[in-house]
Amino acid sequence: MIHNTKCECGHQNHVGTVLCESCGKPLTDEAGNEPLEMRYDGVARRSQRAKRTPLDRVWNFFSSVKIAVYLIIFTLLASAIGTIFPQEDTFINLDPATFYKDTYGWSGELYYLLGLSHTFDSWWFRMLLFMIGTSLVICSLDRVLPLYRALSKQQLRKHPSFILRQKVAFEGDLPQSGVNESTKDWDDRFADALRKKHYRVYREDGALLAEKNRFSRWGPYINHIGLIIFLLAALSRGIPGWHMNQYMEFLEGSPKAISGTNYYLLNNQFTVDFYNPDEMSEGFRQRDVAVPKVYKTDAILYECTADCRVADKQPVLRELTHQQIEVNKPLKYKDLQVFQFDYSETPELLAIKPMLTDHSTGQSYGPIDLQMDNPLPSYQAGPFTLTLKSFFPEFGLDDKGLPMTKSNKPLAPAFVFSLTGPGLPAAGSPYMYFPRQIDKVNFRQDDINGALGSRFDLSVGSMDDVKIAQYTSYLNIRVEKAMPYIWFGAAVSMIGLIMGFYWQHRRIWLRIDGARLMLGAHTNKNWFGIRKEVADALGKTGIDVDPKSLEKGRNRE
Amino acid sequence: MGKHRTWIQIAILLVLVIVGAFAVGGSFASRSPLPVVGDKAPDFTLTDLDGQTHQLSEYRGKPVVINFWGTFCPPCRDEMPAIQAQYDKWRQQGFTVLAVNLGENKVTVDSFVKQLKLTFPVLLDPDMDLSRKYGVKLYPTTYFVDKSGKIEAKQEGQMEQDFIERNIMKLLE
Amino acid sequence: MNFETISSSALLAAFIVYCIAFLVFVLAVAGKGWSSRDPQEHVKRWGRFAFAASVVGFACHLLFFFTRWYSAGHIPTSNMYEFMTFLAMMIMFAFIIVYLIYRTPVLGMFALPVGIIVIAYASVFPHEVQPLIPALQSYWLKIHVTTAATGEAFFAVGFAGGLMYLLRTIDFKGTSKAARREQRGAEFTLFTIVTVIAFVSVVFGFHAAGYSAQFGKQVTVKDPQGVEQTVTQKIDYVLPPLFQPYDSQLISMKPFLGMDKPPMTSPSWMKGGNAGRKFNTVVWSLLAGLILYAILRLVARRRLGEAIQPALAGIDAEDLDEISYRAIAIGYPIYTLGALIFAMIWASEAWGRFWGWDPKEDWALITWLFYAAFLHLRLSRGWQGKRSAWLAVVGFLVVMFTLIGVNLVIAGLHSYAGV
Repeated sequence: MIHNTKCECGHQNHVGTVLCESCGKPLTDEAGNEPLEMRYDGVARRSQRAKRTPLDRVWNFFSSVKIAVYLIIFTLLASAIGTIFPQEDTFINLDPATFYKDTYGWSGELYYLLGLSHTFDSWWFRMLLFMIGTSLVICSLDRVLPLYRALSKQQLRKHPSFILRQKVAFEGDLPQSGVNESTKDWDDRFADALRKKHYRVYREDGALLAEKNRFSRWGPYINHIGLIIFLLAALSRGIPGWHMNQYMEFLEGSPKAISGTNYYLLNNQFTVDFYNPDEMSEGFRQRDVAVPKVYKTDAILYECTADCRVADKQPVLRELTHQQIEVNKPLKYKDLQVFQFDYSETPELLAIKPMLTDHSTGQSYGPIDLQMDNPLPSYQAGPFTLTLKSFFPEFGLDDKGLPMTKSNKPLAPAFVFSLTGPGLPAAGSPYMYFPRQIDKVNFRQDDINGALGSRFDLSVGSMDDVKIAQYTSYLNIRVEKAMPYIWFGAAVSMIGLIMGFYWQHRRIWLRIDGARLMLGAHTNKNWFGIRKEVADALGKTGIDVDPKSLEKGRNRE
Repeated sequence: MGKHRTWIQIAILLVLVIVGAFAVGGSFASRSPLPVVGDKAPDFTLTDLDGQTHQLSEYRGKPVVINFWGTFCPPCRDEMPAIQAQYDKWRQQGFTVLAVNLGENKVTVDSFVKQLKLTFPVLLDPDMDLSRKYGVKLYPTTYFVDKSGKIEAKQEGQMEQDFIERNIMKLLE
Repeated sequence: MNFETISSSALLAAFIVYCIAFLVFVLAVAGKGWSSRDPQEHVKRWGRFAFAASVVGFACHLLFFFTRWYSAGHIPTSNMYEFMTFLAMMIMFAFIIVYLIYRTPVLGMFALPVGIIVIAYASVFPHEVQPLIPALQSYWLKIHVTTAATGEAFFAVGFAGGLMYLLRTIDFKGTSKAARREQRGAEFTLFTIVTVIAFVSVVFGFHAAGYSAQFGKQVTVKDPQGVEQTVTQKIDYVLPPLFQPYDSQLISMKPFLGMDKPPMTSPSWMKGGNAGRKFNTVVWSLLAGLILYAILRLVARRRLGEAIQPALAGIDAEDLDEISYRAIAIGYPIYTLGALIFAMIWASEAWGRFWGWDPKEDWALITWLFYAAFLHLRLSRGWQGKRSAWLAVVGFLVVMFTLIGVNLVIAGLHSYAGV
């Protein structure tokens, strides 16, 4: 592998150099006639060295584009496999161990056992992404620095074999049209023609280099930097506190603590609107389906200032913000975002304000405010005290006939009070109260209360004294602190892509030896464009060529 | 210059290795946020029916049974006498029960506790934060925590006297 | 006369004009030997006509798009029909751009059919304007969907270029192992295209004849409270059922070829009634595709690729290579912006996470990675010519799977209405 790296022009090149960094003479394949390989301008990649240490081996591994392409393909395949069955995190509250087997049979079980049901969370998938990141860093470093060096000190006068072995090349005599035209004049006119096409033209006795859009060469590297920032930002979501995600249900009218934070959120009111038939197109109306137009939660976010999460005490809340949460319009407060996720109709009693009537006097007292989620130890109605002995949100009897609650939801609430006051024993008399009329009848409230039931009555005057929650709103609560960095990475990457793809770096080398003219041109993409430009410039200076004939090695394949 | 470059390469690779360890290691951390047998029991502070606060770490050095229950769950109700009996039997050895209620209000819980004459601490978890932290799915769920604070066993569903006793003996060993 | 009718007529007009433009392109390219004039002059002249026709078709298409937008009150990219017609419009747009750069009439011969087939495919889906569901009520619907489709349209032109390159350069007479593999690959690609055409024709044919069949299937559904209920799901077939859904009952069926009940049942591992219906459709498409392909083979009496090749004779292969690559290079940044970055912005606005590994997102990434590999192989490893052309062809299949296959096979958050 050791060969002389010194070029005949006297320049000492690095090991691995393909084209002399100074004059461009091919160093490895001198006798050939094929178009030259111009990648990275033929300079040595940083990783190409004579001596190799283990460190170099690791470096070289990640520096290889072949490895990068393999990594891309493995990631692609892994991503595809990850979509065969739904991933575990698609479901809330589901046991993956049984779900895959039950739903998809043996293939589902295998999928689960191989850990593919959480592909995107697995160590090996993260490893792949990490290796792509490493490859991005090392590939870019390895190429951008030598390329920068090569492009910033370009030699104007190139070796004939460099010029003529470009993919676009021309060799011919200078036109003899003008009688007194000297070499210099033609040269000037050609340079002007190129300048009109926005080339920057550098000249040296008998040699010319025209160049444009060099910045587009940096596009891929800027893109890679953007991707690295993006990957790091995505990784930073693992920093404690940078990422939070939870789904919670909020019943209308009762504030609820958001776990892991000091915030409370109240679903003040939930509304859902459907499209009117006259808002639909004729064809769609015939299908006769209801389509929701908008559903939104009128939400108030609170901060708890005292008595937070203490049983038996009402937290002290301070309103922070009041916003409407709609699909596509989340509530935003500092880093916290709350998204409308889903809803369901769940009629449920929240609070009731009955009056206590003493039939022996005909007097009514109260009202007392009974809140289903937070009943108080005792209530005062005029001279009477109602001490709460028991509360059953969904009243029922267990298999031994004892009263119990069937759930924690106030679907059939029952209160057991101990009543004290004028004309009642000091120890208190038990009084049972079912707020819902249907429960009152079914569970025979009047029979249970006996004589006390005929003297006292708890009842509401109008529906204004009853608070019912109609809907439960399912909200998704998130904190995502990495977002600004994510967007920054994406923007940088996008700028790099645009630079690299919508502009092309074009160079034209010209060498005049006596009356002989040699021209070579190179671009990193869009050969069609550069051929046309070269032919135009030549045409303007009296050399007519067909753009296509400029290209060497056409139809090679 | 060559030496200089080697150092730069080493530095870059070192940074990459650290980032990589964080990236790949993160997948293990995020996989199991819920405590399983063998893990340290997540600490908590809750108040009981008398308003007294209990912190799990204060019980370090003593075996603890953490029982998640609700008055609305018949098996939870049914196993309470068994737990009470075991509590009476072993409390002298420093053993305790922390019965964490599943978000019910105090009146409901209090009347139930009085009805069954339970004497061990019954803790209120008004927003069910703790049961979410422990990933309680079925009721009742019981964790047996040893003296060092490690989860020794986990039981989902109703327990019988001798099952509780066997596990407590293991904790006391 | 309302805007919705104007809109449908405009699309029909666009479709017809595109077909005419395609025929004129064929006339321009394949007919260069017929006229007594200079072949170069012939191609140029008829190519100009054909291109003018394409632009007229595109204008009709734009008219369709904007009148529908006006009549619906929201951008018509909100369901599969609207998206596919929009994609076809952008394919025509990408074709016009690339044509203006390279002025190669033969490109029209391949790019126009792609657009035409996409419109035909679109019309299989329900046409009527649908009210916009809350999830789609965002200005990102306009931005994300249109840019993503534009990027994909350039990939479609890249596909056309790649296919042209292959048909131009593959040695159909060759008997070496490599040559055989190439011949089979090209033929398979053409067969796939024929099958799509056959699918559209079959659906149209039976739809026009008013064919219908219906099955019922017992399914358990869980309501939000977690209560399970058994309901009968009705499954409507547009095509005669060769396969009925697994574990289902026939409700009604118009006799087909004397059959009044389905001869077969779809395999048991296809859960759900819709899986059975989709399976039936796939079988029908394959059958019809095979028949159509056989007819074409009989008419051409050669492999289809071999039959098309003479039309491409004399076209510079390296130009085709560059056209294909260039279209992809133009499309790639647009695709990145539309299908990934804008998608992430919308996802983070709507769902609070910029990326969730939803199947549609995932396949958008797979497409992006595929073209990233393509670009690296081409730019850094010198994969040009045939290898690059194959990748351009396969890449577009990945795009189509992302757009259609994911909706048919894998359901996710992006479940646009499917039929």
